[in-house]
Amino acid sequence: MRFLINAKRFDAVSDILIKPLIFISIAFLIIGLLFALYLSPEDYQQGSTVRIMYIHVPSAWIALMTFLVMTVYSIIGLAFRMPFGFIINKAVAPIGAIFTLICIVSGSLWGKPMWGTWWVWDARLTSVSILFVFYLIIIFINKSFENNLVREKISAIFILIGSVNLPIIKFSVDWWNTLHQPATISKLSKPSIDPSMITPLIIMTIAFISIAALIAILRVKTEIITRENI
Amino acid sequence: MKFIKKIINFYFREYKVNLSGIFDILTNITFFFISIFIFIFSVGPEKETLSLLGVGILWTLLLLSSTLSLRKFYQDDFENGSLIVLHLNGFSFELISILKTISHFFFVQFPFMMSIPFASVLLDISLEKMYDLFLSFVIGSFILSCLGSISSSMNLLNKRNYLLGSVMVLVFSIPIIIFSVGLINIEDNFNSLINILIGLLLIIFAINPWASGACLKLAIQNN
Amino acid sequence: MLLAQNITLHRSGKEIFKDINISLGDGKIIILKGKNGSGKTSLLKTILNILEPSSGLIYWKGKLIYKNINDYYNNLTYIADKTTSLRQLTLYENIKIWRKIFLSNVSYDQIKNILSILKLDNYLNQKINTLSLGETKKFELLRLIIENKKFWVLDEPFTNLDFESIKIIEQTFLDHVNNNGFIIFSSHQKPDIKNVEEIILDKL
Repeated sequence: MRFLINAKRFDAVSDILIKPLIFISIAFLIIGLLFALYLSPEDYQQGSTVRIMYIHVPSAWIALMTFLVMTVYSIIGLAFRMPFGFIINKAVAPIGAIFTLICIVSGSLWGKPMWGTWWVWDARLTSVSILFVFYLIIIFINKSFENNLVREKISAIFILIGSVNLPIIKFSVDWWNTLHQPATISKLSKPSIDPSMITPLIIMTIAFISIAALIAILRVKTEIITRENI
Repeated sequence: MKFIKKIINFYFREYKVNLSGIFDILTNITFFFISIFIFIFSVGPEKETLSLLGVGILWTLLLLSSTLSLRKFYQDDFENGSLIVLHLNGFSFELISILKTISHFFFVQFPFMMSIPFASVLLDISLEKMYDLFLSFVIGSFILSCLGSISSSMNLLNKRNYLLGSVMVLVFSIPIIIFSVGLINIEDNFNSLINILIGLLLIIFAINPWASGACLKLAIQNN
Repeated sequence: MLLAQNITLHRSGKEIFKDINISLGDGKIIILKGKNGSGKTSLLKTILNILEPSSGLIYWKGKLIYKNINDYYNNLTYIADKTTSLRQLTLYENIKIWRKIFLSNVSYDQIKNILSILKLDNYLNQKINTLSLGETKKFELLRLIIENKKFWVLDEPFTNLDFESIKIIEQTFLDHVNNNGFIIFSSHQKPDIKNVEEIILDKL
């Protein structure tokens, strides 16, 4: 597992991983979209709009996961003085921002037919929009500091402070009375969703994760090349 | 004894600096009042709307106008090298950030506190609500000073994007504004909300010297 | 008093300087020379314990400096190539602030005396931003006297100064050295002082 913290190892391993990842993302995306758009059943209440879920839920998971990865790598970079953590931070932030945006936009499109509004200020929606603002600020920090050393440390500190938001997002549906429904899939209990819907959801999630990992690997590789020292 | 004397003399210097820059602070206050006027022009002068929105408007404008002057928090001392000279005379970076935060609270936020009664007259806020507003602003503005210290020390080497510091402060001030406006508007929750606010203050006051001290050190090393 | 052994500094992967040895004691002056960007200021900052050397050790009175930092900083004055005086205040107010911050016991008469030597005594009630560049630099150097410490670290003390002022500053350096003080400074021009040790920083 040393390739997760060492730039040279990561470069070598990612060369092996790229082709399978391209294959997985294309195959799973096609199969998943087929399932999601044609083969999966309609919801008895929501009708066809339930199909937005197959975009919305995976992108929300990736948005959270990216921030979690950035938090872990900030700790690695700051505490263990490994610059590879900062490389990952810089490379991964725009991906997280894009997936958060996809999540917000698709959720808003879903909300209009279901709740009757594009946007409502409940806890889940607000905390996710704050997550988006955090991503934007991290990107701005990465763009506006001239000194590399300072930029890395400051963005890492900011990510650590911003990670307070993660549990708030996760538990917002349990802590407050929200319009947004609570989590349907969790480890501890049986999922409150029909198996015919959960298969396309899992396939789409795998497709999305592999796409995100692919972009992340490409960005990290360019970042490693552009930095003179590793 | 020497240490206390040094701290007193540090505040003498801060007093002199802020006295010579008194018009900056007055401009800030003027900005605050003009934005109240603009708000009244835009939502209309009806008493019902104002008493409904008044506290929220006041808190928002206090927040916005007190983050305007954040850029000057460490910038001047950093650019003319005073920070290094102070550090070499026995003020550690952590101590400098504590002292600076308290001086920012006194010299920048205090005038805003003084203008709260006049502003609440303009927005038709009742006297009891005004007391609560004052109390919440005393605690909240100290949190704002600490946040400002952290964000402006982060942005010392950021020569291009000055507004980033204010954006950072605004993002982290969301909980403050939630709890302090809740404190005024929700009557029966007063004790729990004020405890949360004081808790936030203590947490951020404990984090502030380490975070801004590290950032100041980083900035001075790489300048 | 100050001893630096084989200090090397790397910043963002580049080597700034390598294997510098410095030993400073009572009555000694060291001048740092080198081209622009040869790391003079970085070396001074390393001596001040602001930058950490990548390898090598620095001692103050026989102890490592970061273990003896309070005593070290109590004996040290640093003049950077900046104006630490507050530009919006008058000279007199600045002197007052400095005397307070540095807990100085130098009397006002003494300071006035030096101001008249530096030909700044007429400006005492003027603001700093009315002074010329050279005059601000001279006023900045007044901090050496007010702080009244043993070890002086100066970064380019002679920029913007006229010939006459340079002579005065050199004389102050000599007086300080004769009082068992010691000085390290960086400069492009060789001053007219005898018994100066030179350290030339050049990348190969």
